[in-house]
Amino acid sequence: MFKKIPTWAILFFSFAFILGCNDNAIPENKVFAVKDLAHKKVGVQIGNTADIYASDFGGDTAKIQVERYSKLTDAIQALSQGKIDAVLCDDQPAKAFLRQNQTLKILDEVFVEETYAGVIAKNNTALLDTVNMALKSLKNSGTYDSIFNTYINRNSDFHYTQKVKSENKLILSTNAQFPPYEFHSANGIEGIDIEIARYIADYMNRSLEIQDIEFDAIINSVNSGKADIGLAGFTITEERKKSILFTTPYAESKIVVIVRDNNKISKTESIGELLHKNFIKEARWKFIVEGLGNTLIISFFAAFLGICIGIGVSFVRFAHETMGGMKFLNTICKIYLAIIRGTPVLVQLLIIYYIVFSSVNVNKILVAVIAFGINSGAYVSEILRSGFKAIDPGQIEAGRSLGLRFRHILSHIAFPQAFKTSLPSMTNEFITLIKETSICGYIGITDLTRGGDIIRSLTYEAMLPLLAVAVIYFILVAGLSSCVARLEKRLKKNER
Amino acid sequence: MNAKPNTIIQVQNLSKSFGNLQVLKNISLDVYQGDVIAIIGPSGCGKSTFIRHLNMLEKQDKGKILFNGKDIYEKGLHSRFVRERIGMVFQQFNLFKNLTVLKNIMLAPVTLHKMTKSEAEAKAKELLNKVGLSGYENHYPSQLSGGQQQRIAIARAMAMNPDVLLFDEPTSALDPEMVGEVLKIIKDLANSGMTMLIVTHEMNFAKSVANKVLFFSEGIIKEQGTPQEIFENPKDERLKEFLSVIH
Repeated sequence: MFKKIPTWAILFFSFAFILGCNDNAIPENKVFAVKDLAHKKVGVQIGNTADIYASDFGGDTAKIQVERYSKLTDAIQALSQGKIDAVLCDDQPAKAFLRQNQTLKILDEVFVEETYAGVIAKNNTALLDTVNMALKSLKNSGTYDSIFNTYINRNSDFHYTQKVKSENKLILSTNAQFPPYEFHSANGIEGIDIEIARYIADYMNRSLEIQDIEFDAIINSVNSGKADIGLAGFTITEERKKSILFTTPYAESKIVVIVRDNNKISKTESIGELLHKNFIKEARWKFIVEGLGNTLIISFFAAFLGICIGIGVSFVRFAHETMGGMKFLNTICKIYLAIIRGTPVLVQLLIIYYIVFSSVNVNKILVAVIAFGINSGAYVSEILRSGFKAIDPGQIEAGRSLGLRFRHILSHIAFPQAFKTSLPSMTNEFITLIKETSICGYIGITDLTRGGDIIRSLTYEAMLPLLAVAVIYFILVAGLSSCVARLEKRLKKNER
Repeated sequence: MNAKPNTIIQVQNLSKSFGNLQVLKNISLDVYQGDVIAIIGPSGCGKSTFIRHLNMLEKQDKGKILFNGKDIYEKGLHSRFVRERIGMVFQQFNLFKNLTVLKNIMLAPVTLHKMTKSEAEAKAKELLNKVGLSGYENHYPSQLSGGQQQRIAIARAMAMNPDVLLFDEPTSALDPEMVGEVLKIIKDLANSGMTMLIVTHEMNFAKSVANKVLFFSEGIIKEQGTPQEIFENPKDERLKEFLSVIH
């Protein structure tokens, strides 16, 4: 049976692959002007001003059905697959997307016009003044025009490189899924906002550090002091002004409507072309490798921390249940279990990053290890506790009757048996843990899932990056399972 | 007055309730060095609860238990010092399932620094020989029959060189053909002068091995005496009825 599992997996993944290649039955475009958007499914990016405008559109009679995506790339993909009818987004990113995706077009009619500005923490007016002066100097020196010529007009190859190298850092929060303002390339994160940030950093005599997080988390990260400034194509709105300070606007943008182009039929790319585009070109496989490394590091150390916490907590609870005593510690453990098991791990991760470590500049991988370790500890301790419960009380009594102290009984008799009975459930917990780390992208860690996402945002192609990521997770889990199966077999020798 | 040997255990007015049910009512008993006391009586009369108190596995509501003249629940006297000197054998054997036979026997003496590892191993092998299970050192409990497990449990209790040995229905969980092998070991121990209290339903065994028999009923010692007095000339009505059903 065990030997057959890989075969089944290969069958499953191939099936998904064939389905993915088969992109027929995409509905025809029916949106030709802004007024046609009424009652249509329209994709926007969460937190983008297009979301606000789209929600307000049409009053009660001609409402838009707004579909919110955390990445613009996902919205574009949904559009080209026919899941939605149009996408609303800023014109520059729209143009950048369309250069890659030939089957879409931008409507001539503009949805709305707006301006972009940077965001700075509500109370930090000193920094605001400095940044505004830097932006002024950026425009006056002509650097601003050079940057825009490179990215928007595409008639120059100017790039502003940072000159200052300093211990003193300017931390920029952004969401690098928004070309040409910010996006991933073979050279790391690039774009208009990034070069503006480099200029500001130089102006302030600091070196620039970039934090790539979800768009809707940027304002939070700036306000909590995780970052000094946010540049991510922020449009000035009254609502945002309540929680954040805006710099002077540095760019103007229009929100446009992207729809499918009925005249252009998607050309099918060969597997070779797809593989090349997704993994070989610009060494994109490196995103997967980097992500895999982080996923492994986080999973391993979080599992280790989880085991330590789990053993400690289960000892306290077992001691309390068999001997009484340790009342106070037991209550603390129960509160810990209730909180951790009663809230989603994603929320815990965000709380630990944005609230617990809000004022400290701490390594994000470490934050993830702590968050997942604390989370896993709760489950491990309950699994071990059920293992302890499975031991018949007679053995504990026999130990006591011989004069053995509780810690002897625990270490020589109870724990080895509880550990063995718990092993299958424990494996399950660690399988879950490996897969749960896929939410690390929320605090800007490039884990395996995020690595695949970055490739998707570059190639506008869902199938191969997602399948590659799925296959790697599968191999990780299968590897873990077979290791534990071997361990279980060895432990079983203790019994008939 | 001092013609009698040393008192090892003195029980004074011991009472215990579980909820509303009073299981032990004002029990008093003196146990002397070398005594082999058989405790008989109907199920649920408090026999087991009584001897579990002597091993501090239960906490009394009222009364005192003196071990070598010292109150075992007196503050400062740690329970383990009492337990190290009073061994116990359980109905369900309660061997440590994750340890081999040898390690089951060696665990307590080595962990509590009573013996070095090699001393404990020599002692364990000697005890295994005594209970007729030489060659089973590396077996796990699950590989043994009930009778064999109970013999190991006796060896385990003996490894601590206890002053007193308590048996809580040592043969009740055994198949009939295995009862004999366990009783023989207990008999050998009795002959070697070990002080023992045995809760049992084996009347012939009680008759042949004990120097004193206690009849427990409804939480009190209804009658006590030599085996002859109890089995051949019972006075209490309840005891007469009990013996007539058993025989």
